[in-house]
Amino acid sequence: MSIDSAALSLSSRGAAGRPAPWHDWMRKAVRLLLGLVIAAVVWEGAVVLFGIKPHYLPRLSAILAAIAATPQAYVDGFLRTLAETLIGFVAGGAFGVLIGIAFFRLRALREMAFPIFVVSQTIPVIAFGALVVLWFGNTLLAKAVIAFYLTFFPVTVNTLLGLETVDPRQVAMMRSFGASRRQLLLRLQLPTALPQIFVALRLASSLSLVGAIVGEWFGDTTGLGVLLLQAMYTENVVAIWGALLASALLGTGFYACVAAAERRLVFWSAEQ
Amino acid sequence: MSAAVMASPSLAAQRGILGAVLLVAAWEGLARGLDLPSYVLPAVSDILASIWSNRMLLTQAAGYTLFEALAGYGVGCLIGIALAVVITMLPPVRSVMLPIATAINSVPVVGYSPLILLWFGIGVASKVVMVAMAVSFTVFLSTLAGFDRVDRRAVDLLRSFGAGRFKILFRLRLPTALPLMLTAMRVSTVRSVIVAIVTEMLGAYGGLGWIIYQAVLQIDFVQVWSAIFVASAISLTFFGLIGAIERRILFWT
Amino acid sequence: MLTRRHALAAVTAVALAAGLPAPHASADALTKATLRLKWLPQAQFAGFYVALAKGYYKAEGIELTINPGGPNLLTENLVATGADTFGLSGGTDSVFAARDKGLPIVCIGVSHQITPFIFVTRKDGAVKTLQDFKGKTVTTWFTGANHVLNGMLAKEGIKADELKIQPQQVSVTPFVDGSVDVATATYYNELYAIQTRMPKDSLKSFVAEDYGITFPRDTLIVSETTAREKPELVKAFLRASIKGWKDAFADPKAGVDAVMAVAPTLDRAHQDFMLTEVKRLMTAGNAAQSGLFSIDPNAIKTAHDFFLKYSVISKPVDLAAAYNASFIDSVPAADRRP
Repeated sequence: MSIDSAALSLSSRGAAGRPAPWHDWMRKAVRLLLGLVIAAVVWEGAVVLFGIKPHYLPRLSAILAAIAATPQAYVDGFLRTLAETLIGFVAGGAFGVLIGIAFFRLRALREMAFPIFVVSQTIPVIAFGALVVLWFGNTLLAKAVIAFYLTFFPVTVNTLLGLETVDPRQVAMMRSFGASRRQLLLRLQLPTALPQIFVALRLASSLSLVGAIVGEWFGDTTGLGVLLLQAMYTENVVAIWGALLASALLGTGFYACVAAAERRLVFWSAEQ
Repeated sequence: MSAAVMASPSLAAQRGILGAVLLVAAWEGLARGLDLPSYVLPAVSDILASIWSNRMLLTQAAGYTLFEALAGYGVGCLIGIALAVVITMLPPVRSVMLPIATAINSVPVVGYSPLILLWFGIGVASKVVMVAMAVSFTVFLSTLAGFDRVDRRAVDLLRSFGAGRFKILFRLRLPTALPLMLTAMRVSTVRSVIVAIVTEMLGAYGGLGWIIYQAVLQIDFVQVWSAIFVASAISLTFFGLIGAIERRILFWT
Repeated sequence: MLTRRHALAAVTAVALAAGLPAPHASADALTKATLRLKWLPQAQFAGFYVALAKGYYKAEGIELTINPGGPNLLTENLVATGADTFGLSGGTDSVFAARDKGLPIVCIGVSHQITPFIFVTRKDGAVKTLQDFKGKTVTTWFTGANHVLNGMLAKEGIKADELKIQPQQVSVTPFVDGSVDVATATYYNELYAIQTRMPKDSLKSFVAEDYGITFPRDTLIVSETTAREKPELVKAFLRASIKGWKDAFADPKAGVDAVMAVAPTLDRAHQDFMLTEVKRLMTAGNAAQSGLFSIDPNAIKTAHDFFLKYSVISKPVDLAAAYNASFIDSVPAADRRP
């Protein structure tokens, strides 16, 4: 039923192609930098020009000044949240692919467990926050577990979907050449499923960040989620925006990395 | 899309039920067998009993949360589709709007909750805004992708017959985009309930998230689980409902 | 679920063993312990951070980790399950509620000797006496403060449904804007926020003590197991903590520094204010003579009877089992006096 939960981001994929030569990268970098500068100017200008209250949108310069005043807090928070995001992402991705393969091979298992997986995704993970701390303690791991929980399902679904698109005639042909099940999986089925899996991985990159941030709301000392919560309860809007900017940097950066890996690994799907 | 895979639906359904029964039995056995205290893991039977004895309270809270989720969902879908239409109709807007939307979207929606709570207070408004934000981004990006999926040649063909932008939008783009739009809308159902609850847990006057928050502080973990069960049931119903509507619409087009 | 938990616990153990620098020689003598706070790091907890920074816990043979609290965490629960060794929990109300629910926790010390929050209204507004609360919008926290409000109202013969009691916002803005008539404010947090946003002397406050109610808060707790099996650890923890608090009071600047080192984005002026107020709360009443963290049996008994009367707890709680003063009494009174 919800097989396509991750498939929806399918179409938002960037144009895949071979790795670009370096001067192409340079041009892109310059364009990105230019875009950021323009955005910064528009932000600063709009706040000053329209007299937007700092309670809603502070000046970008005020936010940057706040970050510069205590840079270590933001750097530490960024790194900590990044670590949690990465662990959750890798664990969720690996588990998702493995379960996807298991579901593909063992139909009985899929039919028994899939509905439970679907239900598990309707549970608001924050309700579990207190329990996760109880079970895993105040560790980096507790946050990674929440990130993992949010990540694995889309990957499972898309792995399964991707494996199912394999042409049975190709399977029959490889079999006739004496390919083992393992060879079949590694040479044909997984490569065919890879574009589909990457669609889910891009989605998972942002979901694991959500998990890390929410996880930090349960009694942690460092992290972007901690900075957000701290700022909210002290009504420090500038600090909230500071943490949001850092989250945006982390979110886009990680997404871009996953997308770049996708372009390198699944170049063959360019004609899709 | 995987209808062929589910060759024997009755067998699949049986196995699904078996899986659920096994899970519940294992859970119940673990909680009872190890005599786990409720603050670690309460037994399913205790949770169900608690749901029944608190049915008035839970129904009221579920109604509260459902209202926030539905209102936010409706607003979010409208905004998402409207934005996609505007961007498609007025290409110059696109180069301005799309980067802004992408930038806002790069922060997880929950990240905005502190800001939204400070701006809109802890009443219903903040939850509706949060849900609308979460839903509108998903719907917007999918609808836009759907509009773009249209065959260039088909657009040119219609245009050569003198069709205007509106005609192309309604005759060609909308039908093409519909499957993607509806998928996004269906996936957003579960998110809308979850986002409403997450925001409630940071501050609210009522709702399932508020019940969970209160129950944690009152050390009533059976109640926490009760609210989670109810939330899950609501999400599944909402999901199923939009799924059913989707099948009808797609069947007719 | 349990197996996954164990598997992950094993993974953590390995990761910790592999990833952390090897402990130095004296480390085997140290006992690992954690302190779970009731809220995010702020000057309300300065003494603990000072003691940690100055190595007072280490000197007592404890390797302490301070874990912050948060909006959806309950310290009693984390201590009862053994997830944390020590806890600075809500207050006498939450200790009673936890005991009432069968959580095996024991209170070993009380930090705030008097009610740490008040109810505030505008001086020029319509509310002059408690009687004027009738028909007005009053916001409060449903985490203990609501009981005090109900108690105060009951003393004046006002029923709770005669006014509009609502959960209080994250922000004090609704009160400052005038959309709320009466708000709840801790001396150290909300009162500061309100005072920085409203003209001086524009507030009128209602104090629980004026209505014969005292609500000691910020309680130090351990599990029954810890209390029974590791009494020396508990005493050592208290000695080090008290030393840290006395240092924080003697040198407030260093006290706030220790907190800001953990949470650098906090507002310094607010934290300075907070430490002053917290000092007042911690040294009020009985503590002036008997010292920091002392457990006043009379105040406990009064609070207990109050909670029983207003059905916050379902049945009488065994006070001797819930509040164990033997640990704090092991520290000489002279050392505890502020």
